[in-house]
Amino acid sequence: MSSPAVPEWTGVALSVSLVGLAVLIAWRQRLGLAREIVIAGVRAGVQLFLVGAVLLFLFKHAGLPGGFAWLAVMVVIAGQVAGRRGKGLRHSRYVATAAVAIAAAVTMGVLMAFGVIQTTPRVVVPVGGMVVSGSMAATGVTLSRMVAEVRGQRAAIEARLSLGLSAAAAFAPHRRELLRTALIPTLDSTKVVGLISLPGAMTGLILAGVSPEVAIRYQIVVMYMLLAAAVMAALAAAELGQRMLFTAAQQLR
Amino acid sequence: MSRFDLREVCVRREGHLIIDRVTATIAPGRCTALVGPSGAGKTTLLRLFNRLDDPSTGTVLLDGAPLDTLDVLALRRRVGLVGQRPVLVSASVREELRVGAPHLTDDEALGLLKRVGLPAEFHERPTEGLSGGEGQRVCLARTLAVGPEVLLLDEPTSALDPEAAAAVEDTLCALLSGGLTAILVSHSAAQVQRMADDALVLRKGQLVESGPVAGVRYVNGGG
Repeated sequence: MSSPAVPEWTGVALSVSLVGLAVLIAWRQRLGLAREIVIAGVRAGVQLFLVGAVLLFLFKHAGLPGGFAWLAVMVVIAGQVAGRRGKGLRHSRYVATAAVAIAAAVTMGVLMAFGVIQTTPRVVVPVGGMVVSGSMAATGVTLSRMVAEVRGQRAAIEARLSLGLSAAAAFAPHRRELLRTALIPTLDSTKVVGLISLPGAMTGLILAGVSPEVAIRYQIVVMYMLLAAAVMAALAAAELGQRMLFTAAQQLR
Repeated sequence: MSRFDLREVCVRREGHLIIDRVTATIAPGRCTALVGPSGAGKTTLLRLFNRLDDPSTGTVLLDGAPLDTLDVLALRRRVGLVGQRPVLVSASVREELRVGAPHLTDDEALGLLKRVGLPAEFHERPTEGLSGGEGQRVCLARTLAVGPEVLLLDEPTSALDPEAAAAVEDTLCALLSGGLTAILVSHSAAQVQRMADDALVLRKGQLVESGPVAGVRYVNGGG
């Protein structure tokens, strides 16, 4: 038997009863969500099962190159998802992919170069996943705010351009504003970590039987890296996105 | 100098021809009105003069030089734009006047406020709470702060109430009598008669009539 905190497959099967309960409530309340809950539950189970199988294969057979390849796949998927938030911006998916890639490369590079995390697939893949996911969220908000800002503030941006300001200078106040908006959720969750929620990595480690002292060390690294990744992703997305907003002749597209 | 020449200028947007082979000259030191019915392409044409947009084909020249050969930021400082509505981008009038002219002295700022008909005390006012007419005057002063040779006026009084519109128009007329080159978009024939020397009449993107205002039928009720 494994660690007592980790459920057996029978336990996993029994936890399906919770989905059943949710479906029952949704059906009784006529929320029209029962079908969607079933689909979401099945989807989550299948996805996690498949990911578990892939990770098992990666850890056993593919080595570090396999781990990095998996990370690259995550970056591409994250870029597609975050890019959709910037609909209306030219090449938004490329911009988003590049922003997530830059943030992930720098953050993971620093962590590995300083030996903060082990350079093994077992560590690189899940830690990289957290970095990519945090970067994706920050990139998505940055790009969606950028599109909204241009839509709402076109006249103000063009007023500044008409006074002879460069595109960068004309957009600077808007860029500041959208970066603030994009980073506030990350900053807030960093501020209250441990007070309001026990974050995922720490919860997982404690559930798996690791001492809270060790779990906290890991969590501190995770929080710092997520903060850095979000800031870098948002900055990269703003910088690259801004280039797509204006022509070479400093005209707002 | 500040003479503009348009040569076979076309603007296409999403497959539609908005400006259709316009060839014309804007004389220096005069006010030229762009007139015509709604959707004729007046504002589209105006935006070409400071390169907020570029023509799809054809050339716009300033004093003989194609605009795309000039430094675009320097061009926009030579060719100022005042829009239809006052778009204020700063918290105070003091900052607003310095958006394009960060080194403007207080004396220069007060001089500009006087030129646009605002009392000196406005210098320390917040931009929030200014009336439409006051805001439009601040926009005009902000544009003049950069020291333009040409003023592009995109229906500068159309969003104001009649009293404010008349007052802003008087201010503009006084400025233009100083010899500034101006290009005015207006849908009011009366305003064109009061303010402009020449007129270009656009219809469906084509130039259909041009010349001194007194001889242009569209402006004088024959359009």
